[in-house]
Amino acid sequence: MDSTLFSYLDYAVYGTAVIVMLIGFYGAMVKKSLLKIVIGLSVIDSGLNLLIVAIGYYKGGTAPIFSQGFLENFKSVSKMTDPVPQALVLTAIVIGFGVTAVALALVIRLYRHHGTLNIDEIKNLKW
Amino acid sequence: MKKVLVILLLAVLGYYTAVTFFDIGFGQPHFVAGVKPVKDIYLAKTVKPLTVSNAVTSIVVNFRGFDTLGEVTVLFLAVTVLGSVLYKKRHAVGERSVLFNASSIVTAGSKLLFPAIILLGAYVFIHGHLSPGGGFQGGVIIATGFLLMLLAYENYSVSHTALSIVESLAGITFAGVGLLGFMHGGTFLQNFLPAGVLNNLFSGGIIPIIYIAVGFKVAAELTGVIYTVLNEKGESNG
Amino acid sequence: MVGTPVLFIAIPLMAAFLIPLLGMIWKELVRIVPGLVLTYLLILSINLLDHVLAHGPIVEVIAGWGPPIGINLVFSALSGFLVVLMEFLGLLVWAYSYRFKRNVDYEPALKYFLMLMMLITGSVGIVLTGDIFNMFVFIEITSISAYGLTAFYKGRNSAEASFKYVMMGSVASTFLLLAIMIIYAQLGTLNMADIANKIHLMNPTLKIVSYIFFVTALGIEAEIFPLNGWAPDAYAEAPGPVGAAFAGIVVKAAVYAIIRYTYTIFDLSGTFNFLIIIGMITLIIAETAAIRQEKLKRMLAYSSIGQMGLVMVAFGFGTEEGVFAALFLMLNHAIIKSLLFFSGSYLTYNSTDKKISEVNGMSKFLPITSLLFALGAFAIVGLPPFAGFWSKLAVMTAAADSNMILIMALVLIVSVVELVYYLRVVNRVYFYKKEADVKPKRPTVNALIVMITLGAIILLVGFYPDAVTGLLHKASAGLMDKTQYIHNVLSVR
Repeated sequence: MDSTLFSYLDYAVYGTAVIVMLIGFYGAMVKKSLLKIVIGLSVIDSGLNLLIVAIGYYKGGTAPIFSQGFLENFKSVSKMTDPVPQALVLTAIVIGFGVTAVALALVIRLYRHHGTLNIDEIKNLKW
Repeated sequence: MKKVLVILLLAVLGYYTAVTFFDIGFGQPHFVAGVKPVKDIYLAKTVKPLTVSNAVTSIVVNFRGFDTLGEVTVLFLAVTVLGSVLYKKRHAVGERSVLFNASSIVTAGSKLLFPAIILLGAYVFIHGHLSPGGGFQGGVIIATGFLLMLLAYENYSVSHTALSIVESLAGITFAGVGLLGFMHGGTFLQNFLPAGVLNNLFSGGIIPIIYIAVGFKVAAELTGVIYTVLNEKGESNG
Repeated sequence: MVGTPVLFIAIPLMAAFLIPLLGMIWKELVRIVPGLVLTYLLILSINLLDHVLAHGPIVEVIAGWGPPIGINLVFSALSGFLVVLMEFLGLLVWAYSYRFKRNVDYEPALKYFLMLMMLITGSVGIVLTGDIFNMFVFIEITSISAYGLTAFYKGRNSAEASFKYVMMGSVASTFLLLAIMIIYAQLGTLNMADIANKIHLMNPTLKIVSYIFFVTALGIEAEIFPLNGWAPDAYAEAPGPVGAAFAGIVVKAAVYAIIRYTYTIFDLSGTFNFLIIIGMITLIIAETAAIRQEKLKRMLAYSSIGQMGLVMVAFGFGTEEGVFAALFLMLNHAIIKSLLFFSGSYLTYNSTDKKISEVNGMSKFLPITSLLFALGAFAIVGLPPFAGFWSKLAVMTAAADSNMILIMALVLIVSVVELVYYLRVVNRVYFYKKEADVKPKRPTVNALIVMITLGAIILLVGFYPDAVTGLLHKASAGLMDKTQYIHNVLSVR
């Protein structure tokens, strides 16, 4: 791949991740529907996970797996992408799932209690 | 007015976050000079002494296995919290809040797919130390199989007791294997089994055992989450 | 040695996975087992602390990989002191809530005690761990249990309070992960001691951004203004004993995380002044808000936020006396605020609104509970001869040593404000006539024992402060000595 394209890609990946996070923040802070707020929170998580995985990438790197093919063709591990962010993002995804599940359960209970998902009609949620 | 404020705030936040990460740089070595990053040690030790092919697995299950124990606990807690938040005193077992009318093509197809999905999930978590994937991924695949069945059949139900037994046993296996590491003066989660040969199914010592336990646990817990939410019947003043 | 620090995490997790199975055999076990676990861990923590004070910190390696490769746990005088405090309060909260309200039924009791045990385990993990990402995992364990415990009661506004908490909490975890990843991308390590060793190599701008993200994230958990919007609602809606657990355990863990980052990991100049400023703002705003509250638990919540602000100010002195004063404040706040939450929830047991006016004349019906509430109120204001007096005195001494006369004045003014709003409640308890429709509820025997224990500790520390000051001096010296911490951890193989 030629190098000018890569210099744009440099900004594109981090930029996309940050923009996805900002969209999530916007949704969580502005939207009136509880469900949309929860969706906003999980969009933040997605952007964050993309950002974390992107940190571990190296130009032309292979997956950090010592398969038969890797052992025969490459000898050095310097061609591998960084496995640590991938391991961390696995943890982050699972934790994000847990938080989203709890938030959705609370939304179900709020709906059961108030019969609406609009935060303007649930008086104690305004601040 | 509020929207403008929010957009301004987010613009500041986004600007600083983006600039920070542009500073770090994408796709090139970004560690500061004079630092020996731990990832090099991880990659070197994954092959020897751990004899694991997948470096992500070796980090998740062994080098940073304590994180994974906490992660599994977070899932377990999420299920507990879900049960507590949605708890009702008179809980009718087997009652569904949403009923789907599925055609016979869907029901027959689901029945056909279900064993294949379970098999794929089991394959992914058993081979977690050899190929991409692992306990979490495999567990999620198995849970999608149960989701498919719950969507296709309106009277399909999963035994809550069985789920909680599987969940508990898998968790005890993980923590128990960790505690067994104390044998022979070792530490928690110490790899005490023979390492085997690289790229064989029986390699990596305790890593496959832990990942299989994680797979069972994740599958049981995600199925539990789906089942709890699906059986949530609306009440006016619960 | 009788055990290792990892047992503080491994045993409760094992028990948590086991409890649903045990509950199928005998339902009472879901209440008994968490108590047994907490008792064992309290004994273990006291033993280990004794060992640490004599022989120096224990650094435990996990999975056989020494730092910086693997995760390690550090049991020093400071973390040991906090672990003993947390396990002790956890045991008391367990004993107090043995058959408290909804805990009578099987299913809610199972979930309640699981969540309570994991809340304590997560906080202990935050204090013990020596790895920033591992700390993130424990913070999430703590917060998810806290969300569940906040929403434990039905019918009140608990789901709203918990939803607010979830929103703030997910924002906190986002910032925490961003900060962790900035550090990892620069230094290539996640171990605290290793980071502290290499932090001077880091790009200064990135260091500042990372520190700000850390403090934002942890400030949400530690109730620092302006990030504490969740706290009053969560305290007011959660079950009474859980309020005590929040004030005594969760917030302490978050404050510990902030000071660990400020004192050990980062080497930025000006962070101490930053702590003083945010602490003072939190203190002033929370205390002025507390005086306007009409509900008892909200008042206690704002008072708790204010005390955390004072702790931040004391840590911000940056001297050993300041750290000593802050740790003493944390200890006193933990025991006294727990007593206030415990006795306060029996004073307003059967009311739905928990208004302050509903405690009128309770002293005739609940003499011991009222007496203990008054004891707690006087102690937290800082009247001699109770425990709170010595910690406030320590703050004043530390401020005088650092030539911060303004802060001495502020502490005095705040004490007067506290005196006003606590005396208002005590006055109502003793000298007003009971409202007709309020039905008092006598405390159960276990709740009474718990409250009397706490009252006895307050008196003991009040009359004999030397019982704890030696330990606190050792803990504060340990926090100040950064090179020793780095050496202790990195020399382990």
